[in-house]
Amino acid sequence: MSAALALQAQGLKKAYRGVVAVESLDLDVEAGTILGFLGPNGAGKTTVIRMLSTILRPDAGWFAVAGVRMDRPVEIRRRVGVLPESAGYPPGQTGEEWLTFHAELFGRSRDDARATARRLLAEVGLAERGGSLISGYSRGMRQRLGIARALVNDPQVVFLDEPTLGLDPMGQLQVLELMTRIARKHGVTVVLSTHLLAEVEQACDRVLILNRGRIVAQGTVAEVARRAAAPRQGLVKVPPELRTRALEVLAASEVQAVAGDGDRRGELVLNMPAGVALDTAASLALRRLLDAGVPVLGFALESGRLSDAFLTVTEDS
Amino acid sequence: MATVDDRRVPVGRRAWIVVAERELRDLWLAGRGLPLLLAYALLLSVTSYLVAANQALNFLEQRETVSLTLQVAVAVGALLVLLGAADSVSGERERGTLESLLLSPAPRRALLLGKAVAALSLWVAAWAISVPYVWYLGRGVGVVGVAVASSLVVGSLLALFLAGYGVLISTIVGSNRLSLSVSLFALLALYAPTQMPTAVQNSWIGDLLLRIDPFTAGPRYLGRLIINGHSPGQDAGWLIGPALAAVVAVAVALAVADRLTLHGGDQA
Repeated sequence: MSAALALQAQGLKKAYRGVVAVESLDLDVEAGTILGFLGPNGAGKTTVIRMLSTILRPDAGWFAVAGVRMDRPVEIRRRVGVLPESAGYPPGQTGEEWLTFHAELFGRSRDDARATARRLLAEVGLAERGGSLISGYSRGMRQRLGIARALVNDPQVVFLDEPTLGLDPMGQLQVLELMTRIARKHGVTVVLSTHLLAEVEQACDRVLILNRGRIVAQGTVAEVARRAAAPRQGLVKVPPELRTRALEVLAASEVQAVAGDGDRRGELVLNMPAGVALDTAASLALRRLLDAGVPVLGFALESGRLSDAFLTVTEDS
Repeated sequence: MATVDDRRVPVGRRAWIVVAERELRDLWLAGRGLPLLLAYALLLSVTSYLVAANQALNFLEQRETVSLTLQVAVAVGALLVLLGAADSVSGERERGTLESLLLSPAPRRALLLGKAVAALSLWVAAWAISVPYVWYLGRGVGVVGVAVASSLVVGSLLALFLAGYGVLISTIVGSNRLSLSVSLFALLALYAPTQMPTAVQNSWIGDLLLRIDPFTAGPRYLGRLIINGHSPGQDAGWLIGPALAAVVAVAVALAVADRLTLHGGDQA
């Protein structure tokens, strides 16, 4: 097992009373990664998180977290922090009391636990409300408190299951900024389950899309967007006086080209052929132009969007 | 970020103490502990007043009034323990706070033990409240000491039994309502032998049933000590049922603790 892998899983399966929730999941996540964990409702995201955090036992397969295999669940729990989906909070306790209690459960002394609680409350922006009863917290404050609880044991891997659920746009932004800041500051691996695709594009290093218990796409955001949404167009800019020549050269290749909206400035739209890798097709077109003595002044692939990819790979759900 | 790894030796208190302290605070400072105890004290006051002053009940001898009051105290005190224990895990499930607890490295047994301790505190408080009533009703006939001591023993055994049983049910079933229903139904069933016809009670099988059922054996033991003036050792056989029930319930609850799951039942 690679020491640089924060998460590793092979053939993970889980069914509830015969209904398959997760089917043969293979996973490798490098340490320090912020992984966007996407999928429609019922795709199996929460089940995967619960298996990896030892709350649920898989029916088959194995996994390791921070180098610790699943047969040592207590050691895994020492290394993970989790913000569960729909986490409940005891209304009769203050935020500081609740965090102190959980820090003590991880073996900290009472003084250390209290100091940890105060540090984390400050880190999530609740320092001034730490002494207030949780019953008076807004939903956004509770989510931030939940993130603080996930950090009481200085985890190596943090699972955030729908941390922005039910929050207004400002609350969503605050939670995502907090998550990114904490992940970068502490160098922890973060698994972020969310439906906010635009934010995932900005915050996450890698993306994994789950559908019906199976991984349907994974890689960097750009890779997933390109593979799944598959932009088949590019924009190439040539000298206006060579535009006709360029169209003739490209017509002889597999790449179809038409004059673009800016054709007077020498812009051509390239329609990439299906069945050929996008990078290969683009390289081929550019090489043909250069070989024919047509200088390429600019080139851009139409960027794929994660939302398009998501819809493409989950359209059957 | 620092890592909590195998080399780190926990320097904090034992997990069950941490959980028990938290549960005790929740129960007595922010929960149902005080209202339940207030209702219990009210019930005990009414019972004591009736047995001591009511014309219809004044045929009871003084020793019998002490015994009757103690039986009410023990039964209701144990009921309070059952209510607390039956809510212990299933209540956390319904409030959505169980997952956070299960994510800690604390042993499952420690979590349940801490919760059971909090539930048992209801009995300790109930017994303490009963002491002045016993003193008032039993003054002058020399039964106060034995009544207080024997009620502590019998009540503690019954409370242990119900704490173990309640936690067990709460661990297994998925909903809080089901946990409370099953627990209370079982408690009612345990009182059923008291309704058997006298002839059946006097038969060997009836006698056996009365002795193994902790909720018939315990009160009978109290009655023999307080009303009949027997020595504690003379009728110690009546304590076998309650003691056995307490041991078995606690042992089974601890054994099942490792199977504590988020949803209860078989959805591990």
